[in-house]
Amino acid sequence: MSGAVAGTFAVARLEWRRMVVRPLAWVLAALTLAWLAWNFTLLLGGFLAGQVQRAALPDGPGFTDLVAVPLLGQLAQLSFLVVPLLGMSVIAGERRNGTLPLLFATGLPASRIVLGKYLALLGWLLLWLALTLSMPLALAHATDLDWGKLAAATLGLALMLAALAALGVACSAFASHPAIAAAAALIIALALWSVNVGAQMAGISGGLLNWLAMSTHEQSLLRGLVSTADIAWFALLIVVVLALASRRLDNERERG
Amino acid sequence: MTTIIPALPPVVLQLDRLSRRRAGRHAVRDLDLSLHAGQVLGLLGVNGAGKSTTLSMIAGALRPDSGGIQLRGEDFLEHPELARNRVGWLPERAPVWAELSVSEHLDAHGRLRGLNGSTLRAARERVLDRLDLQPLARRLAGVLSQGQRQRLGLACALLHQPELLVLDEPANALDPVQAVALRGLIREQAAAGTAVILSTHLLAEVTAVCDRVAILHDGCLRHDGPVQADDHQALERTFFEIAMHGDAAAHAA
Repeated sequence: MSGAVAGTFAVARLEWRRMVVRPLAWVLAALTLAWLAWNFTLLLGGFLAGQVQRAALPDGPGFTDLVAVPLLGQLAQLSFLVVPLLGMSVIAGERRNGTLPLLFATGLPASRIVLGKYLALLGWLLLWLALTLSMPLALAHATDLDWGKLAAATLGLALMLAALAALGVACSAFASHPAIAAAAALIIALALWSVNVGAQMAGISGGLLNWLAMSTHEQSLLRGLVSTADIAWFALLIVVVLALASRRLDNERERG
Repeated sequence: MTTIIPALPPVVLQLDRLSRRRAGRHAVRDLDLSLHAGQVLGLLGVNGAGKSTTLSMIAGALRPDSGGIQLRGEDFLEHPELARNRVGWLPERAPVWAELSVSEHLDAHGRLRGLNGSTLRAARERVLDRLDLQPLARRLAGVLSQGQRQRLGLACALLHQPELLVLDEPANALDPVQAVALRGLIREQAAAGTAVILSTHLLAEVTAVCDRVAILHDGCLRHDGPVQADDHQALERTFFEIAMHGDAAAHAA
């Protein structure tokens, strides 16, 4: 393993360790998972109550449409709040504690420091997604899951969490205070999600605004439609945002 | 008859016209300095003289505006990755990751410096023992006293056995017993061939452990010469002349 790759993993491991010993990550995980579990039972109750009526429909919605995907949709909503809170101190916190120069002094390029921190945050979020997913999967043996649709929705959620994590890390790189980083990440994420609201109200279904909006790409994945264009949109966003964060850290090393 | 001239230890650090502006003023200006293996250089200067900026650049945490830094003849600015295993740095006030225990802190530092597995464990135990940190190994770094933090910072700087040790006010917050132990540690590192550069406000510290002293004033090097261990007053005189009047009087001295 080359020095830079090993260094990236060392940064990721350090960030992961710092995250798991902080109460914030556990409190957020516990509260959100409790909320999602409660909603899962409500969704499941609704699904069971309507089972008789749906039996008459040959192509009616199933467990995946009525329980699993809506649950992932709720996770998506929660992520707008959770990801900025988890990501706010990854770099801004280091800056405030005076530990950022310790990372600079390892000789690692700024991009590796940013990548290491991003991987740690992403790891935590994917674990959060896996725990949420375990709820509908626990009933897989007793229900008729649409595996393709569930996989597409899970991919959509994973990409959305990855994009929000990149935004969180970048806002943390630019902000002087973690709270400012969290607020900025929340506002930018909401703006990115709903940039096309006006266009949709005017009945415009295509165009640049719709392409820019995260909701356009996320909703088609949640519906089970996997397209390369949507995946590329998320990948592009992640790369651009992480590159900006790296540039910011590089400037900081230059500027002091 | 042939005369055998003892070979000088190799040059570990070479600064060439190093300059850096900070907050709109020259923090360091055209600094030339070299340091041989096993040598201990004391960097003196009043507050704002440019000591910490110089040490941050040598440690790789800050890039100079112009000039060069060479580590054993290799261009440090071209290859910042040299810092990883060749330089150990104790920054001013010894910042720590408060959420980690002392032991985890050392592990994290070790991994960042390229150590792992049994090498890392052995290095961690060595510095825990050497700096009397074993009783604190499981304590969170965030609850350590400033003196204990300072010792943890020193342990991190020594963990990977660097060939250049950069210490920014290492005696800060240490009690007299620990300060004496620190001197022993620095001399021990120098005897093992490590080049040490340390900044301090304590002139007694310089006369006790340093072979050479460099005095900065307004970012410029005003004095660079050997330390006479038995002549503390001469150093004090030089320092105050530079601090009060710039370099003219000091050069005359």
